[in-house]
Amino acid sequence: MPIARAAKRATVRLGAVALVGALLAACGAGNSSGSDSSDSAGGKVTLTVDLFGSFGFKEAGLYEEYQKLNPGVTIKQSDTQDEADYWKSLQTRLAGGGGLADVQGVEVGRIASVTQQQSDKFQDLKEFGADKLKGEFAEAKWSAATTKDGKILGLGTDVGPEAMCYRTDLFKQAGLPTDREELAKKWATWDGYLELGKEYKKKAPAKSAWLDSVASLYGIMIGQEEERYYDASGELIYEKNPAVKAAWDASVEAAEAGLSAKLDQWSPQWNQAFAAGSFATIPCPAWMLGYVKGQAGEKGQGKWDIAKLPGGAGNWGGSYLSIPRAAKHKKEAYQLIEWLTAPEQQAKVFQKQGNFPSSTGAIEKIADAKDAYFSNAPIGQIFGDAAKESPVQVLGVHDQNVMQQITNALSEVERKGVSSEKAWGTAKKGVANVIG
Amino acid sequence: MSLTATAKAGPRRPAGTGPGPDDGRAAALRRTWRKASPYAYIAPFFTLFLAFGLFPLLYTAFVSLYRVELQTSGEMEWRGLANYTALFSDEFFWTSLRNTFTIGVLSTVPQLAMALGLAHLLNYKLRGRTFIRTAILLPYATSVAAATLVFAQLFGRDFGLINYVIGLVGFDPVDWQTGTVASQIAVSTIVIWRWTGYNALIYLAGMQSIPHELYEAAEMDGASRWRQFIHVTLPGLRPTIIFTVIISTIGATQLFGEPLLFEGSISGGISHQYQTLGLYMYEQGWGFFHLGRAAAIAWVMFVLIVVIVGVNALIVRRRTRKEAGR
Amino acid sequence: MTALAAPPTAPGKDGPPQTPPPGRRLRKRGAGRTMKGGWLSYVILGFALLISAFPFYWTIVAASRSNADMAQVPPSLLPGPNLIKNFEQVLEEADIGKALLNSLIVSSSITLGTVLCCTLAGFAFAKLKFKGRGALLTLTIGTMMIPPQLGVIPLFMLIAELQWVNQLQAVILPGLVSAFGVFFMRQYLVQSLPDELIEAARVDGASTARIFWSIVIPIARPGMAVLGMLTFMTAWNDFFWPIIALSSQEPTVQVALRQLGGGYVNDQSVIMAGTLLGTLPVLLVFGLLGRQIVGGIMQGAVKG
Repeated sequence: MPIARAAKRATVRLGAVALVGALLAACGAGNSSGSDSSDSAGGKVTLTVDLFGSFGFKEAGLYEEYQKLNPGVTIKQSDTQDEADYWKSLQTRLAGGGGLADVQGVEVGRIASVTQQQSDKFQDLKEFGADKLKGEFAEAKWSAATTKDGKILGLGTDVGPEAMCYRTDLFKQAGLPTDREELAKKWATWDGYLELGKEYKKKAPAKSAWLDSVASLYGIMIGQEEERYYDASGELIYEKNPAVKAAWDASVEAAEAGLSAKLDQWSPQWNQAFAAGSFATIPCPAWMLGYVKGQAGEKGQGKWDIAKLPGGAGNWGGSYLSIPRAAKHKKEAYQLIEWLTAPEQQAKVFQKQGNFPSSTGAIEKIADAKDAYFSNAPIGQIFGDAAKESPVQVLGVHDQNVMQQITNALSEVERKGVSSEKAWGTAKKGVANVIG
Repeated sequence: MSLTATAKAGPRRPAGTGPGPDDGRAAALRRTWRKASPYAYIAPFFTLFLAFGLFPLLYTAFVSLYRVELQTSGEMEWRGLANYTALFSDEFFWTSLRNTFTIGVLSTVPQLAMALGLAHLLNYKLRGRTFIRTAILLPYATSVAAATLVFAQLFGRDFGLINYVIGLVGFDPVDWQTGTVASQIAVSTIVIWRWTGYNALIYLAGMQSIPHELYEAAEMDGASRWRQFIHVTLPGLRPTIIFTVIISTIGATQLFGEPLLFEGSISGGISHQYQTLGLYMYEQGWGFFHLGRAAAIAWVMFVLIVVIVGVNALIVRRRTRKEAGR
Repeated sequence: MTALAAPPTAPGKDGPPQTPPPGRRLRKRGAGRTMKGGWLSYVILGFALLISAFPFYWTIVAASRSNADMAQVPPSLLPGPNLIKNFEQVLEEADIGKALLNSLIVSSSITLGTVLCCTLAGFAFAKLKFKGRGALLTLTIGTMMIPPQLGVIPLFMLIAELQWVNQLQAVILPGLVSAFGVFFMRQYLVQSLPDELIEAARVDGASTARIFWSIVIPIARPGMAVLGMLTFMTAWNDFFWPIIALSSQEPTVQVALRQLGGGYVNDQSVIMAGTLLGTLPVLLVFGLLGRQIVGGIMQGAVKG
């Protein structure tokens, strides 16, 4: 029975071939398309840099410069606008141990999670001699990325000293003063800011609100506080923290007075609103300048200005560059981040993008910087003062998520007219859900 | 088990390679092989299925009994059924369950009703019917991501086209993102848009397999087109309708991409107003990194679907029996 | 669970008694109604077509304008001049070229593998007798009810264990498990492959494998083509698992679309241009094979 025998063989083979074939095709496909950029043959290295928001390295031409200085190095950057998305994807890859870039950005709201929960997953930069850089960074910036046992897990890029951006053209139309000094005096306190907002509302151009969203208002106010959601011992204290309450109440007041354009930060609508003039003021951490320029576009040139923040100095955000343990080119990556965070480079990013340096050397360099886009506002001075005066913040593991729950609840007040008490209840439930 | 079957059959092969004089042994082998060979056919599927289908399923059950966090996934802390019991007092879980249900109804009912109507029309003799059928299926070819991005823009509050049209007609603009009902309608619209054409074609196929004689008989009885639709088409389509209802219900229970991408918010809007179970699971797992809790939600979803399909089956069976008894 | 198995087969039972010759298209002449559609039918259908086509048109409009245009009231309804510029920006911001290639690799591998596995298994379930057939079939169909979200966590852990995160096989291999495909091929073969053919072949001494190659495959080919097309589209459009398993460094089109908001200037027009680029290949396939896909879905509906 030759046929039967041949058939038997064929059947078994078929099964085997189908399976192996499927496996091979899949693996082959996966490999050939090459997820690894580690063509280190011939001394050539491709460094991958994965970031969120806008760090401004590319915009300031730093990669090109670095590649010229180091002919063997090619830099590839990928980025995600929304930090929450970015963080999710980073965590997934850290857990999976694959697909990590050589350099990963970390937001200051997450740095506590890195130092307290994942110090084993990031490279201790001390091994490459990072400890000698300690004196070059603002003290608070440096210590936040250092673990209790002295590991250095990230180098600071920018900090987020806060100011207020406003549209001079809209202010004029509403009959408000446009001089930044005068405004700084008028809104020396948050009450003054809200009062001015109510005045603006009376005479404002159609479809234009005082501020973009109460979530940004809350964010900027809470940035003025030293203790926010956690105390120094790591205990969750936001519920009884009067500072949280004060920022909450002011935001509720703004919402209930109808001062906000009710936009969702980082949403497409929010982006479109920059150009459309839907709001007259937007709380501005330094890194927001680049964003404003990008969204408002060329037409916005000269229409914007920057004044000192109501209620004193504060800090919102800022970032670090870290190297995952699983990175392929740790040494080269370290050389890159040391260079990127050096004073000269930080100063360049600031001039191009507005991201305020965390390096003390860079802060000196840019002290008299002005920004033409923002009506020649003395951004070096405004943000420099804010950086000097802002409090050293206590950071917690879930800072970012806790804040997200609170601002979500505030948006309910703002957009749905939910009462403050009810929204606060929602916020508390949301926080409990986050902490798990 | 399929694997062992293949393996068992393997080693005996060489025995039969030579021109075998011992026919008895060969026959016995053949018999064994005939019994075993079917397993070889299902082996590739079941191997993959075991690795990437069944194993994850069972392991999810295991994970759901622990506290597991993505950042520290090495450390697992036994929680027993606490992940499940916590859901009962979890307001957000109930919200998402309710949303899944309302969005499910909002999307499935109009979708299938319109599909039925369209199929009825498509069943007429029409000019360019191939073109019409293809065009009507077009939305099915787009991805959830693409469709949602486009619709999110159309539904924009301040600059969206839909609100502009609403304004032209003289109504106030609708906040399609914030309002509970409005946002759920918006999300359902995306689902309806993508699937109506597909279901219409399924119904059309069902209609075409209804014997023509039935219509002729109805016509002879003087039944109008409408009555023919009610008394011939609908009963003839019953099995197809049930099929689409079940498939759409399963789809609705698993709804995820549309609400996620509608605003890019993993909480399904500021007050979870359109967060579905699938999205809530995603938020727990990939927003807050609580893998154990996410696994528990996933199992609840599974049980829910089984119950829904079971209820469907019961209804079908009862109705069939009733009709048989008539 | 039987509910799922029962209804799809039922149309066959209710349908005409004459089974069509195997392998041919199931287009029964005389079945269905031949009444002509009135003008109202055309109007309603025209309206339906308009609705199904409008979002595509709108994508083109938005993709060819600028962010500022999109924020205008009244909105512009005609395409603008920026299409090429926006395409360029998409290519710069998201690695769409790579994403398209990756999607092609992923979707074709999944399609080939799925069609092969499912035809094999579908044939066994349809025509071969073996122990546990019923149970295994029920198990397979039962998995159609499993939400894809359910397996994701352990699947991710598995992929992580294998060090596959961010590699294409992490998306391909799980994509091959298609309970629907097995069920579809089974239904197809149950109806198009007469038992007599197999028995006759057996009498002639043909083995199962030979029967599979020379009888089953030719008859199953139309069904395989339909399954292939459906699988390809599903794989191309899938994004739940890819956004977890892959990242912007190794994206499929859907992942790239999700990431597209990540540029420095998050521009609505650029996002729409990306959407357009990601959808074009599927639309192209659809334009070329639309008739077959429609036929396939309808055929699948009657059979599966």
